[in-house]
Amino acid sequence: MMADLEMLRPWIFLASGILLTLLISVIRTESKRPAQISALLTVLGTAIFSFKSPPSEAVFLFSGALEVSSLSLFALGGMSVLAAMFILGTGHYLTREKIHISDYYHLLLILVLGGSVLVASRNLLLSFIALEVMSLPAYTLVGFRRNDSRSNEAALKYFILGGAMGAVFLLGSSFIFGATGTLDLSAVFTESKGGTSLLLQLGHLLVVLAFLFKVAAAPLHFWKPDVYEGAPTPVTGIMATIITSASFLGLIRLIHMIDFSSPGTVGYLELMKSALRVAAIASLVVGSSVMITQRSLKRMLAYSSITHTGYLLLGVLGAFDEKVGITSVLVYLLGYCVMSTGAFVLLTLAKAPADTGTELIDLTGLIKRSPFLTFLWTVFFFSMAGMPFTVGFFTKYSVFMASLGGGETVLVILAAICTVVGAYAYLRAIALMTMRDAAPAAGDWEFSPGSQIVAIVAAGFVLFLGIIPNAMIQYLKGIPLIH
Amino acid sequence: MEISDSLSFFLTLPLFGMVLSLLIPRGVQRIYAIFASLLFLALTVYEASGILFAGSSELAARLSVEHQLLWLPQLGSRLSLKLDSVSAWFVVLNALTAVIAFSTKGAWYRKNPKLFTSLGFFLLFGLNAAFLSLDLVVFYLAYESVFIPMIFMVGVWGERQKATAVFRFFLMSFLGSILMLVSLFFLLSKQVKSGAGVSSHLSDLVALSSGLEGAEAKLVFLGFFLAFAIKVPLVPFHSWLKDVYNLAPFPATIWMSAILSKLGVYGVIRFVEPLFPQVLGFFQGGLLFLAAVSVIYAALLAYRANHPKELLAYSSISHLGFVMLGVFTLKAQGISSAILLSVGHTLVSALLFFLLSKVEEKKEGLDLLSVHGLSRRYPVLFVALFVAVLASVSLPGTLNFAGEFLVLLNAYPVSAFCTILAGFGAVLGAAYMLKFYQQMGFGTPSSGTSEQVTRGDDLGGFELVLVFVLILFVFYFGFQTSVFLKGN
Repeated sequence: MMADLEMLRPWIFLASGILLTLLISVIRTESKRPAQISALLTVLGTAIFSFKSPPSEAVFLFSGALEVSSLSLFALGGMSVLAAMFILGTGHYLTREKIHISDYYHLLLILVLGGSVLVASRNLLLSFIALEVMSLPAYTLVGFRRNDSRSNEAALKYFILGGAMGAVFLLGSSFIFGATGTLDLSAVFTESKGGTSLLLQLGHLLVVLAFLFKVAAAPLHFWKPDVYEGAPTPVTGIMATIITSASFLGLIRLIHMIDFSSPGTVGYLELMKSALRVAAIASLVVGSSVMITQRSLKRMLAYSSITHTGYLLLGVLGAFDEKVGITSVLVYLLGYCVMSTGAFVLLTLAKAPADTGTELIDLTGLIKRSPFLTFLWTVFFFSMAGMPFTVGFFTKYSVFMASLGGGETVLVILAAICTVVGAYAYLRAIALMTMRDAAPAAGDWEFSPGSQIVAIVAAGFVLFLGIIPNAMIQYLKGIPLIH
Repeated sequence: MEISDSLSFFLTLPLFGMVLSLLIPRGVQRIYAIFASLLFLALTVYEASGILFAGSSELAARLSVEHQLLWLPQLGSRLSLKLDSVSAWFVVLNALTAVIAFSTKGAWYRKNPKLFTSLGFFLLFGLNAAFLSLDLVVFYLAYESVFIPMIFMVGVWGERQKATAVFRFFLMSFLGSILMLVSLFFLLSKQVKSGAGVSSHLSDLVALSSGLEGAEAKLVFLGFFLAFAIKVPLVPFHSWLKDVYNLAPFPATIWMSAILSKLGVYGVIRFVEPLFPQVLGFFQGGLLFLAAVSVIYAALLAYRANHPKELLAYSSISHLGFVMLGVFTLKAQGISSAILLSVGHTLVSALLFFLLSKVEEKKEGLDLLSVHGLSRRYPVLFVALFVAVLASVSLPGTLNFAGEFLVLLNAYPVSAFCTILAGFGAVLGAAYMLKFYQQMGFGTPSSGTSEQVTRGDDLGGFELVLVFVLILFVFYFGFQTSVFLKGN
């Protein structure tokens, strides 16, 4: 038992940090500093613990419900680093928007805890709990701008739809339990003797559906633009990075626990693939085509992330037969998180009037007002478009390759065309910054050292990984999905 | 002559130049850019001359050097640079184009000169990487990265309405290149499936693509071909070109017409020919026709054009049609003549746009359409323009004459019809260039400018030397065509 606890050290550290931060925020209500520092130290410590000693072999705890493996520890460490970047980079936003601060930090930490357990879980019940532990703080955080009606609307919308999808997840799990008598993912198909009853397939599809909702794959994306726009910008960034990553890894874990080699699953494999294919095509087409019509920068980034979901699904589809698939998803997630973190942290610097939010027009003539900010935005936009010498190129490279390996040629051609459509939207934003004079209505951009540092680090990673991605790919290749 | 086995300076020096340009004060940016690019040109010529002027093909083959550096081992990509008798020409032209483009004067040296110079050096870097790399992934990265400086040059220093032009340029080129990327990935994924180690080196992919057959090979070929056809451009894919050439600042126009278009030519010669010999043979008739149509159609468009820049843009397409005609003969002789004509086109179109930029400089704020009577006011500039126009209409004795003649000669046995069709283009070329020349050169000098001609207004000093040297090259190589054809 002690050895088990040893393995859980990063999670235990994180949980204790949450309690400490909560305690501090209750005691020291007049200042945000102590809670911020406590949260920052917690996530940094968690990251160090999880990266320090990755186990060579996976260890299964709690009757096989929780998997401590290089993947789950990588996810926990990665999410902690992302959280650290947001804590460091967005403090000024909370001050400016007069957001009730102290609760913000421990809710963020709880979200990280839920997300990391979701990745590590091998049991549907634990997955559900983790999903809710991740989602509940998110509902609250989205509504943090209490006096803003759009923030309230976003929170309510997210809560109701998220709750409904949680119910769908539970329904699917109960079907699976009914068919097999177990909720242990690794046992689901062995228990049913390789065969696939209709009940089991339906249950499985419903659970996948719930995950597709969480990652906002079209046609389940409709909540995303509104929620992204209404939420405080740092929370939007956290949703775009941490929640998306956790849900994707959860989804891919779920799919890959199915043993598709047994003869009874052939038809089911095709069904699952078609469902994912539809979601991928819809996300790519909807995301990239609607993105070019947006006037709000935040909504544009929301649609951009729907497009990225489509690319990620390409990687998931490629992962059915080939080992390279899971690596491609990890590469894409890493690259996507780095550039999104940078973009959303930069977005918090916009001093937009509260009623309209940050519009694309606020970018006009930015090169004259702040060449450096323009450079950073340009790096992130180019990376999202997949231009060379940014990490965005290699992320696309890996999912396209994986998907072609899986035989999805038509899908890849379609994705390539969507890339061009999407590139128009990013180029338009860049053109506004560099090729136009500032519009009279253009909003101001403030200066904050913390976010500046975070954005520079993110941009540095985007360029570094775009030029020398070897280490990243090598490292991620070493992370197996299934043990 | 000894050639060092490292070609990396072709890439590192431009990058160094880019970083340096950010540190140099604004005032001396132009001098720095010209000086640095001249120095780079000298180095390039020194390095390439052994290959360019080697007496025999065996010597050239021995001298052609390949330099390898493992870059992305997991993806099987190497920084594999090769300087041979094909790439050496394009690398030299690239350095020369940079000198000419940097020598123009204009708003780009007043508004944000540091950005302009550094973009120029980045362009030099990207093009060199594209022209030297034998690894297709690296080639793609370089090919694609060339867009970035181009977009900004047109966007930041271009004329009004530039945004639409930039978008069209970018989107069409990007569509082409991303389909090429998909084709490339398709080949690579075949490689993965076949169990061999991944390698995107040309020689490894050639082995693989010969195994493709039927519709698969044709589709993969189309992916590559479209990218280069848009880049050149061949006629149905030329719609992006007019606005960009028109609205771009002169250095960007020079870069685009002189060297970026050659990227398409080079891509077909270097990659498409060895990768898809059968498919090219299958489509040859259609491709030759496409090239001939480009010649004629662009020439007609040029004749109708009112704006000098637009006219030169279309004339550029027309001449590149000849180049592609030579390439699509799929014979070594034809390709050599196409390279010869490419060199001629680079020299002459860079010269024409450079001279035009001088005209614009003198009459800032005026539409070029209203320019008349140059002969009276700027005699030296006008004589230079005269010679450039003659070279452009392929006066015997110029490099362009030799090129067009050899291309037609080689194309005739392959397709007499297309050759005759393209031959008419040469006649049309004379018509529109003389129209251009007459409109700009004669008549009363346009109103609004002073009749007083001061000595400083005309070409002089460094610019005169540059123009003179370019003209000298056009005639020298016109007589020394053996330099290009030695291999055969």
